[in-house]
Amino acid sequence: MPVTVRTSSASAKAEAQVAQWTAGYAPLPGIPDEFIGPDGTRRAHWTRLLTQLAADPAAVAERFAAADRRVRNRGMSYRVRGETAERVWPLSRLPLLIPAAEWRKIEQGVIQRAELIEKVLADVYGEGKLIAEGALPAAALTGTADFVAAMRGVKPPGGRWLRVYAADIGRGPDGDWWVLGDRAQAPSGSGYALENRLVVSQAFPDLYSQMNVERVAPFFRDLRAGMKSGGERSEPRICILTPGPYSETYFEHAYLARYLGFLLVEGSDLVVGEGRRVYLRTIAGLKRADVLWRQVDSEWIDPIELNSASKLGVPGLLDAMRAGGVEVENAPGAGFIESRAMLAFLPRLAKRLIGRELEMPNIATWWCGQPGARARVLDKFDNIAIASAFGDSARGLEKRRVAVGSELGEAERATLKAAIAARGLDYVGQEVVRLSTMPRWEDGMLVPRPFVLRVYVAATPEGWKVMPGGFARVSDKPDARAVSMGQGVESADVWVLADKPVVTSSLLPNPERTHIARLLGNLPSRAADNLFWFGRYLERCEATLRLVRALSSRALDPEAPVTGAKEAAEALKGLLVAWGAIDAKEKSPRPAETALREPDNYGSALSIANAANFAASVIRERLTQQTWALIGRLRSDLLALPEDALTDAQILDCIDEQLTTIAALSGLFDENFNRGAGWRFYELGRRIERGINTCRISRQFAHQKATESDLDVLLDLIDSQITYHSRTLIGVALAPVRDMALLDPYNPRSVAFQTRRIEEHIATLPVLRQDGIPEEPLRLATRLSAELDTEVADRLEDASVLGIENRLTQLAEAIARRYFLHGASARAEKIMSLG
Amino acid sequence: MIYDIVHLTRYTYNGPVVVNDCVLRLRPRSEPGQLVLAFRVEAQPTPRDWGEHSDAFANRVARMRIETPHREMSIKSISRVEIARAAPPLAALTPAWETVAAEAVDTQSLAPDSPAFALYPSRLVSLFPAAAAYARESFTDRRPIYEAAVELTKRIYKDFAFDSKATEVTTSPAQAFEARRGVCQDFAHVMIAGLRGLGLPALYVSGYIRTIPPPGKARLQGADASHAWVAVWCGPAYGWLGLDPTNAIPEGDDHIVVARGRDYADVPPVEGVVLSYGGHELDVEVDVIPVVGKT
Repeated sequence: MPVTVRTSSASAKAEAQVAQWTAGYAPLPGIPDEFIGPDGTRRAHWTRLLTQLAADPAAVAERFAAADRRVRNRGMSYRVRGETAERVWPLSRLPLLIPAAEWRKIEQGVIQRAELIEKVLADVYGEGKLIAEGALPAAALTGTADFVAAMRGVKPPGGRWLRVYAADIGRGPDGDWWVLGDRAQAPSGSGYALENRLVVSQAFPDLYSQMNVERVAPFFRDLRAGMKSGGERSEPRICILTPGPYSETYFEHAYLARYLGFLLVEGSDLVVGEGRRVYLRTIAGLKRADVLWRQVDSEWIDPIELNSASKLGVPGLLDAMRAGGVEVENAPGAGFIESRAMLAFLPRLAKRLIGRELEMPNIATWWCGQPGARARVLDKFDNIAIASAFGDSARGLEKRRVAVGSELGEAERATLKAAIAARGLDYVGQEVVRLSTMPRWEDGMLVPRPFVLRVYVAATPEGWKVMPGGFARVSDKPDARAVSMGQGVESADVWVLADKPVVTSSLLPNPERTHIARLLGNLPSRAADNLFWFGRYLERCEATLRLVRALSSRALDPEAPVTGAKEAAEALKGLLVAWGAIDAKEKSPRPAETALREPDNYGSALSIANAANFAASVIRERLTQQTWALIGRLRSDLLALPEDALTDAQILDCIDEQLTTIAALSGLFDENFNRGAGWRFYELGRRIERGINTCRISRQFAHQKATESDLDVLLDLIDSQITYHSRTLIGVALAPVRDMALLDPYNPRSVAFQTRRIEEHIATLPVLRQDGIPEEPLRLATRLSAELDTEVADRLEDASVLGIENRLTQLAEAIARRYFLHGASARAEKIMSLG
Repeated sequence: MIYDIVHLTRYTYNGPVVVNDCVLRLRPRSEPGQLVLAFRVEAQPTPRDWGEHSDAFANRVARMRIETPHREMSIKSISRVEIARAAPPLAALTPAWETVAAEAVDTQSLAPDSPAFALYPSRLVSLFPAAAAYARESFTDRRPIYEAAVELTKRIYKDFAFDSKATEVTTSPAQAFEARRGVCQDFAHVMIAGLRGLGLPALYVSGYIRTIPPPGKARLQGADASHAWVAVWCGPAYGWLGLDPTNAIPEGDDHIVVARGRDYADVPPVEGVVLSYGGHELDVEVDVIPVVGKT
């Protein structure tokens, strides 16, 4: 039968393809591998995956490319400590596969460990029996700033210390899973795991459903329920407390906030107020923040009681926790459990606290603070891995994080041994770990590479829940003892394979419990601040580009008006100097190019694009990927210009492109941005900046003695040539040009048009008191708008243009005072109703 | 001995300050040998919120928040303290330093006086081999800890020059050690680095010291300053003993202890978190006045 023939030939082809991919694939000697079992046979589930991939080998490359594209389009990125630029997320081609039966054992082991750690934390910060009875040395805790003495005696409001725990696990030489490290501070990677899943499942939809992969969405639903149960109120406001956009994992914080519907906040957004509760500064005053999912290390979260140098924390947060005014997850101080010294004690504590051995052991560890352990480590120095007990480094370990005695030179050995003898408490000895391997795709071939798997557990009202899957890091080198995200390391999606098709579910809530909300709560002051400034920078960028274009095109255009052309060019340069785009002192031979891309001039188009990028990066969770990508183009296009001197034509081309990008951004904001308060602040920023710029330009080019050439420049700068000439046939004259630039309420470039919009926007914003008296920003805007309405162009004095400009500046300051950080806090005591 | 201590701190800010969250470590400790008879703080502008708590080292820490916009803040603390310290121990009777190091690691306490908090590098005191080697010269094998520590105090006094221009608040102990000069803070940090380098618990002590005017001259008002020295843990029987490397003397009746911590970063007398633009200037005046007629 033809069908059978086709199938068998296809499957033969697929097998040949798999054989080609896996030719030469051999596990490293003595090291377990995921694909090839200890008996040398290929594991069935991997063969299934590869065979299905091989069914259409041509599509594979396409699928991989699609995944790469998706990673870029979603803006998936991470940061390496010490670098400012973000790196594109390296996603491994192949997922890690784990059959459900094996996974259930991992789950049990990790839950048991979470339970143990919760008990250790509760005792150390509570009753203190483990320390008092000598089961845990006090000095094994105090070596890290993550042990927070100030938390002793504090009862976390939700009654628990851990909300999210993660274990880094690997397969030991006997094939069983081992815990390599505990993560209890603020386990990172769960958001990346979710992103990895979205990208891979979309790139390989058929494979994903055929392989019966267990879904991770239910875990996040449970996690959310757990966070929610921590709050005092039934609908708590849950915030992710991030260190900010310079954090290594800011992308993840922003992503989780968006996915889970939590607010992304920084320390400066929060304030401890009335009743020692924590409040969020919003444009409508202070609003209660019930639950904080802490992504800031303990040491930095409260500058009053902990590290006073911290700008990331909330002054008085610990005190608020003591008063039960806020739930912080995980509780500050949970992080000490991560230090290697603790691995020496957890197995023993298990027997004491949960009455059983650990189902999943951790790598054998000896804390050299204790004389017996120290002697043993020094005795077996050659065959033991020495690492810092608490941090990344210690004396003798400056060059490597982990040292094995036999691999050290004489001098290094002596130094390290002496250091351990002198201050053993800084070191642990651990059995040498060689990570097991999984297949990694390299240039069309599979190779075995070491990996570490991070498994996540969340405490929920229904007990501990484990994410079926996780975050796997795969090394690019065959021999790796430690795998951390950095050059060459990839992250892989983790597929837990069920025996039968998986019931799909997503984060959609139960229909009875949904209610429709059109606007998303109260806008945090910092977000409003950044949206406002993003609007201002975007508008300033446009104005700068138009100035540079006017300068360049006049250099090119032989038919430009002769009278006053030179003067107009000088005036343009003057404005660019005042703008900060050109340095006044240095006479730049190519002023247009300098104004366009000189990074040291704060007013150059490049500097402003950078500022716009930063403002946007802080509110990234509020922007679509497309918007974010366009904002990025504003600066990347400027950076991509050839390094040599630019011709005027190149400059004009670049500016046209930039203006198109800005127009596209304006369009996105107008068409796609929800008309909530956030959009209003973006608009306010743009309108105020445009009003101020138009005043400045008018003062320069439409003063009482302005030439025809001046007025022509002005019409260019405010993009009103066509409108002007369609209305006025007599040529350019001062009064009609001024009317168009300043007073005409129908011209979207005029100052009057801006003030009307400003007034409308402010009128929609929330007020602090219900007494009907307009607040300062509205008063200023209404008065200015009314004055412009009644002004007449031919009676306008030069000084009154400056007056309008100054009042717009005052209006901007009034908006900052009322709505942004300083304003919100200054008014905290005057607010009538809190909550 | 009874002292009245007046400590005035004045901040002048370059921009308007809207919110000022302050931490004050100004109340002298009440502990054996030292009793606070009276204590009062006056702050301008008037703080809205005021609270006091004990930190991990049992220092009394006050916090306050000023929400009145201001460009100047002044904090004046006035204390009356009675000092009657026990004489230092007989050095030869104190335990061998190696024994003390082992006991410190073994401690089963996280109480405020636990040596466990004083063993590790801290924010301002990182451990560097040169300091440990320098300290080791006094800490010969099995030498009684107090004897060795007193000798170390004297060596620092002899080897280091007091020079208020040589260092700043941010100078690291390694830099001060290299330069062999500095002020009380630097000497204390260097000594702490040396002791911890040997595995011995050492803390930073902040407080005041009475200055004796030259014979025939009156005490100058405001001429005193905050002072800093070191506390060394000498085993469970002796506990924490103070040593002042700036003056090569043990903590005595001229010293008033305000706070103990791992280093200066744990115990600044006044620190604040302000919402403001720009920087600030700081002006400090301290008077330690022996109360005549009462001893």
